[in-house]
Parts: sequence; C-alpha cells; structure tokens
Amino acid sequence: MTTNTIDSTTEGRPLPELLSENKKRITPKRPRDYACWAVAIAIVAGLIYTTATNENYQWPVVFGYFTTQSILDGLVLTLVLTVVSMGLGVLLGLLLAVMRMSHQTPISGLARLYITFFRGTPVLVQLIFWFNIAALYPHISLGIPFTDISTPVDVNAVMTPLTAAIVGLTLNEAAYMAEIIRGGFASVSRGQYEAADSLGMRGFTRLRHVIIPQTMPAIIPATGNQVIGMLKGTSLVSVLGVAELLNSAQSIYARTYQTIPLLIVASLWYLVMTLALSVPQSMIERRFSRSTRRPATVATATKESLL
Amino acid sequence: MKADGTIVARKLHKSFGSHHVLRGIDLTVAAGEISCIIGPSGSGKSTLLRCINGLETIDRGVLRVNGEDFGHTETDNAYLAVPPQRLAEQRAHIGMVFQQFNLFPNMTAENNVMSGPVLVKKTNRKAAREQAQELLAQVGLADCGHKYPAQLSGGQQQRVAIARALAMNPSIMLFDEPTSALDPELVGEVLAVMRDLAHNGMTMLLVTHEMGFARDVADEILFMDDGIAVERGDAREVLANPQEKRTQEFLERVL
Repeated sequence: MTTNTIDSTTEGRPLPELLSENKKRITPKRPRDYACWAVAIAIVAGLIYTTATNENYQWPVVFGYFTTQSILDGLVLTLVLTVVSMGLGVLLGLLLAVMRMSHQTPISGLARLYITFFRGTPVLVQLIFWFNIAALYPHISLGIPFTDISTPVDVNAVMTPLTAAIVGLTLNEAAYMAEIIRGGFASVSRGQYEAADSLGMRGFTRLRHVIIPQTMPAIIPATGNQVIGMLKGTSLVSVLGVAELLNSAQSIYARTYQTIPLLIVASLWYLVMTLALSVPQSMIERRFSRSTRRPATVATATKESLL
Repeated sequence: MKADGTIVARKLHKSFGSHHVLRGIDLTVAAGEISCIIGPSGSGKSTLLRCINGLETIDRGVLRVNGEDFGHTETDNAYLAVPPQRLAEQRAHIGMVFQQFNLFPNMTAENNVMSGPVLVKKTNRKAAREQAQELLAQVGLADCGHKYPAQLSGGQQQRVAIARALAMNPSIMLFDEPTSALDPELVGEVLAVMRDLAHNGMTMLLVTHEMGFARDVADEILFMDDGIAVERGDAREVLANPQEKRTQEFLERVL
C-alpha cells in the first residue's frame, strides 16, 4: 500500500492526475433534517393560531389589566420581597457556610442540621408554618441575658403575612445559599491556600485577595439562578394573603371571574422580570470569568488592579 | 531576624495517620549552598520540603531555619507552636516554588509578583510594581506582566511563580519538583532561571528529577528512600559513584 501513497515531498514520484483537492466536502441533507423543521414549525404555527383565534384567551382583558394599578403594586411588592429575602438569605447563608466549614464539629454540625431541615421541607409548608408560629410560641421576650432589660413581644401581632413571607423565604434561601457558597470555596484548590501561605499571607488578606475572588465564578452564576428562582418563588406567599403579583391578579379574578386572562397577565410580568434579570447575570458572569478566558484586551487588563 | 539563609534539621519525624513518612531525617544546608533531594516517589522528599516552610508540621525533631527554631519555640519540656502571625513572618523569608505553579489565576502576572510585597510587606504599589517589572525581566518575561496565568505557557507560569517568590527577598528558595509538570521543551527555560539564581548565591533546596541540573549546579545531594536519608554527599560524587546499593539501583533506573 505504501507505494501508492501520495507524498508531494518525495521527489521523482509525480502526483496522479485528476486530483480534485479544491472541491468542498458536503454532508447531504437527509429527510429527517427537513422533518424536524416541519414538525417544529407546525407546532409553533398551531400554538399561534389557537392563541390568536380562541376567544377564551380574552386578549383585550389581558391588555386592559396589564398595567392596572393593583397589578403594578403587586409587581413592586414581588420585587421588594425578592430583593429583601435574597439579600438577607445571602447574608445568613454566608454565616451558615462559614459555620459549616468550621473545624469545630459542634458549629459545623449546627449548620448542617439547619441546612438539612430547611432543604428537606417544602418552602410552602415553611411559609404557612411561620405564619402560624404564634400557635407554638404566643409570647416571646426579647432582652439582654442576666439583666432586667427585656421587652415582651406578642408574636401574633409581629408575624403579619408580610413578615412571615420574608422570614420564610429568607430562612429557606439561606440554606441553599450556604451550600452554594460552600461549593464556591471547595472549588478553590489547596495549592492556592499554600501559595498564599508561602508568601506569608494571613487569614483575612488571603481570603480577600486570593480565595474569595476565585470563589466568585462558581458562586455568581448559581446565585443568579437563585434570584430568578426566588422571584418566581415569591408567588407562593400569595397563600398567606400578601398582595404580591399573583395575589393581586387573584384578587381581581375573584371579582370578575376572568381567571385565565389575569393569570396570563401575571405570567407575562414574571417572564419580563426573569428575562430582565438574566441580562445582568450574564454580564456579571462574564466579568468574573474573565481571568480564565482568552485575551482580555491589553487595555482592560492593565487598568485592572485586583490588589 | 537574622535570616542567614541556613537550614538545619535533626531527626525529623512526620506521620500522616499511621503512615510514617519522615523517619528521622537530618539535613544541613549552609548559606548560599544548592542542595538537591532525590529519590523515588513516595520517599518523603516533598514532605520534607513542605515541613521546612510549615506547610506541614513536623511531629518530632529539631528544625532551625534562618538561624532560629521554625514554627515552634522550645520550652522546658516541649516545642510550642508559634502564633500564626509569627509563622507568617518566618515563612515570608522562605520562597517556595510549587510543582503546579499555583499562580493566582485572578491576578495578572505582574499583580502575582506584587502580591507578596503589597499585601504582606505593605510596600507601596509604585515601588512594588517597579520591582515586579525588574523581576519579570530577570526571568525573561518583561512583556508578559499584563497577562493572566491562563494566557501563559507552563514554563512561563513557573517563571512568574519564581519571580513571585523572589519578590519577598527570601534568604532561602525551596523548589518542589519545579519542572515535573512541564512539557519537555519548556523545562530548559525554567532550569535556566534557576541556574541564574544559583550563580547569584541564593540558598536553594530542591526536590528534583533533573539529574543533569543536579550534576551541573548542586553542591550537595541527599538521596531519600522510605523516609530515610540513605546517602548524602557532594553532588557529582554521589551521582558518579554512589556508595549505597539503593542509590545505585535508583540512579540506574533514572539515568
């Protein structure tokens, strides 16, 4: 066989004629390639047709209520709930993650217990539970131990639907964030700690300048997903009667019986908000993953000073 | 602190659980001396090196680095671990180069080199940057300061890592198999930088499989096997004419 191989570097062995080395190589389309398109187009066309022609969608009603004041108020409350619960959840989650990584077994055990409990029970159950916590502890007393300073608190008065919603969402979120943050730290190799140690860096400096920046590529995208999940998750607090987006829609259709159009209103708003959130998320993601990507431009790289 | 660039170890013992890794190792490195530790994998070479800057803690024995007890202070009946602050100060005088480079991927090459001076010694940024640029030039990477580790080859990363260690003005440099993770054609550039360093009178202790480098540059060789110093002596002497049977067998296999 070797005698037949074409080797242009070998002298005295001319290349055979009729070599069409400039022709493109093409994979011919097969019937299934067209069939896939046909099926997809048929499905989308069908959906468009039915949504446009089925009177029961009541599109005029949808557009009529889309920017109603009560819907917009609900929208704002949904955003507030998301921001507050997420913010508190991240802080508490950070504390739990630090506890969970502690070398002191009792401390990490407590964190583990918390995480197991809050991840192991449905958030809807937790929300209803917090709303009814007064049945368990009707009165608590806030004060400084070993002093006379203390204030009795009526739990029933404090645990309004809104408080219960924030407490429930926050405590649940913290459990998930703790695991995400812990995962971020676990993704930094031992060698990074050792390199920092060998330069004489200590505790906080090492954490702040070497370790934490490296945890971000693992933590940020996951946190972004959590924010989007939280935004949708706030709809659960409608069962407590908190007038967020879904609850506002429900209050309207309870009066008018226009259930479907108002659920569409709520859905469209949720969709708009989650899409809007995905934009900053991908921007932040890009910022944090830059060091591991190919050429950041010279200008941005030199301007950057992480120290 | 005197930081005289000496290492003295006597009867070092170290176990990981039930695995007795160092079994009474002695080691002496004089100021400005180049010492190589060779031996089969699992013989405790890296562990010995890592004990010398406190990445591992010794269980028993005497360890004096830069003329003072390292990591522990002697009391009447025991050695007491020093506070983290003190350990960090002692480490800052010892440069360490790792097999896997361990550059900080979130910083440019220049910021990597500046990290020690700025974050530990609190040198002002301008002076630290100038020093970083000099050091990068010294390891032949004057143009690479703005690049991130991911944009550099293995050999370049390891040279940045050497510059980063040098930025602390250490009196001793430790190298833990610095060329073992490199593609063969990149080994030379790293060895060249190390050779320069050796000629400038730096105290160097290295774990290596580069017998050629050991023969050319090292003053002393320590052959370890199974946590014990089997043979030690003048580098060229040991390589050319090993006395111990185990050394002979090892060298026959690697040379």
